[in-house]
Amino acid sequence: MLSIKNLKVKVEGKEILNGIDLEVKAGEVHAIMGPNGSGKSTLAHVLSGRDGYQVAGGEVYFQGENLLELEIEERARKGVFLAMQYPVELPGVNNMTFLRESLNAMRQARGEDEVDAVSFLKLVRQKAKQVELDEKLLKRSVNAGFSGGEKKRNEILQMAVLEPSLAILDETDSGLDIDALRTVANGVNQLRAPQRALIVVTHYQRLLDYIEPDHVHVLVAGRIIRSGGKELALELEERGYGWLLEEEAA
Amino acid sequence: MNERTSLPSGHQQDAQDYIRGLPAGEGWLTGRRQVALSRFAELGYPDTRQEAWRYSSVEGLLQQGFVALDADRNVAEREVRKEFIVEPVAGRLVFVDGLFQPGLSDTETGVEVRLAGLRDAMAVADRQMLEALGFLSGSGDHAFSALNLATMQDGALIRVAAHTKLDRPIELLHVSTGAASGLTLRPRHLIMLEEGASATLIERYISLDEGSYFNNLVCEILLAERSTLRHQRIQQESRQAYHLSEIYIALQADAHYEGVNAAIGGVWSRTRINTRFVATGASCELDGLYLAGDGQLTDFHLDVDHAVPGCVSRENFKGIINGRGRAVFDGRILVREQAQKSSAHLSNANLMLSRQGEIDTKPQLEILADDVQCSHGTTVGQLDPEALYYLRSRGLSEDQAKRLLCLGFASEILERFESDSLRQQLEESIRQQVEAGVVEVA
Repeated sequence: MLSIKNLKVKVEGKEILNGIDLEVKAGEVHAIMGPNGSGKSTLAHVLSGRDGYQVAGGEVYFQGENLLELEIEERARKGVFLAMQYPVELPGVNNMTFLRESLNAMRQARGEDEVDAVSFLKLVRQKAKQVELDEKLLKRSVNAGFSGGEKKRNEILQMAVLEPSLAILDETDSGLDIDALRTVANGVNQLRAPQRALIVVTHYQRLLDYIEPDHVHVLVAGRIIRSGGKELALELEERGYGWLLEEEAA
Repeated sequence: MNERTSLPSGHQQDAQDYIRGLPAGEGWLTGRRQVALSRFAELGYPDTRQEAWRYSSVEGLLQQGFVALDADRNVAEREVRKEFIVEPVAGRLVFVDGLFQPGLSDTETGVEVRLAGLRDAMAVADRQMLEALGFLSGSGDHAFSALNLATMQDGALIRVAAHTKLDRPIELLHVSTGAASGLTLRPRHLIMLEEGASATLIERYISLDEGSYFNNLVCEILLAERSTLRHQRIQQESRQAYHLSEIYIALQADAHYEGVNAAIGGVWSRTRINTRFVATGASCELDGLYLAGDGQLTDFHLDVDHAVPGCVSRENFKGIINGRGRAVFDGRILVREQAQKSSAHLSNANLMLSRQGEIDTKPQLEILADDVQCSHGTTVGQLDPEALYYLRSRGLSEDQAKRLLCLGFASEILERFESDSLRQQLEESIRQQVEAGVVEVA
């Protein structure tokens, strides 16, 4: 589904990613772990298409298409979804209106009819329940005045409604208490499906207690220095990142 | 003498002839017209050396050579009716090219509410309705208001009897047609709420054709003790039209005025709102939204006079500027020495969608009393790139994302329009404005 080859990315002239290789197949869950500043979020945003990143080399193919040539919204319409670490507050933009326009943009791109008001309401209510998002928040402005946990739930709600093929979760666990973490993880797990892939970007292992990965990659200084199964995450939790850095240096 | 300030003599002669030709029945008003005309002759047209007109030249307007004549009207009734608001109304006053249309209006409102056309009222010298004409606007320093009083043709007269509470709005619809091209229209409205009365007025200016004309209107509003007026105004004239609204509001003790304005159309549009607190305990809320697209000038002037103690005013205006659009906002609040315990809060926020647009914003608080609560704030900003990225990452096109953010920016003003259909129309106007697709010049 997603194939990243020797991806090099610069931000303001400084190399942040220097040669990432990653293969993600449908149905898989990949965790990308690493210390702060290792380039995890950069990777997430480059896949989503945010401005300000210069691709200095390598390629990214998503379902056979050159992802890097697509506009932000084209990527989204083709099924790439990034649950952001810091969801943006949009004062005055109604959460329901936003979700509906977003869903319709996706449907339109797939050549489907717009969703009617009644079915949409039903769908959103059901999904909101699934991620335990207070229905009142649906009527408010997007993320405006939401708590940290509410913002993350709102991201997962969007993901549940839009049903992407590739979902990237950028530090979705940051700032969540254990109950919120469990709810969010539960929401994510319900989206696991044979036709869908997930990339979970996280600093800590604890999210992976709830979202069990098939593959774990360790990103350090812009490169994946180790890949393994879920046991790698446990080892990192126990021993930290230091030993990997030492082995790498040796 | 500066050419622009001198009064074109032909203009004054026209006005004199017009006044002489008025029906004898309104002879007692003629004096008032004459005084206003003299006042106009003294003032002349404003020019940009006057602070209040610094950013809004009338040169272009005067060059158009608009004349005051009755339009040769061929009213397309069906076209006009299509523009009525969807919601049921307490009464309706419809004007086409400045003139009252009884056939399209609904003035059968019972004794508590009187609705009439100004021209009809003048013809029968209806003093009850006309007495207060010019009280608020007449002797001021405003040339266009004086000219309007001298040569007013028609307008809306609304009087709500004491303690009458209307639960449905009164609609005042002004429609311009192609026949207005080249003309100056001079509507004058007078709205009186007696003690304890409460009403909603929806006032709109729209064009059925893309004509160029000058709508020079004055609206005087007298609010007696404990009366409440909710006033929703929309200016959606042709993109070639010139529009000047001068609104005068006087509030007696404990009266309440809630005005929300939207200025969308016109090539040149200016709205001046004069609010005067006459007795204590009154409050005034003014909200506004202006869109200045490519080639448009949109101007709002507020003049709030806290002349007495214990009154509250709040002003919140928002503007969206696109292409080479220009907007002017001048909000002046005067709290006089004796006006203790006043509260006045003024806010103006502007969203620039292009680099070629211009906004001149000037909030002015002049506070002479010491025991008051006052604040003002002005912002000029652009769309947040992070917000655009966020929306686009959810599949919305750049235009869709911009539209949603602009609607979000305007939402607190839009929400104050109580009619769903009006709000939808305004949202549609914002969409068109945002998607106007102005080519950026580097």
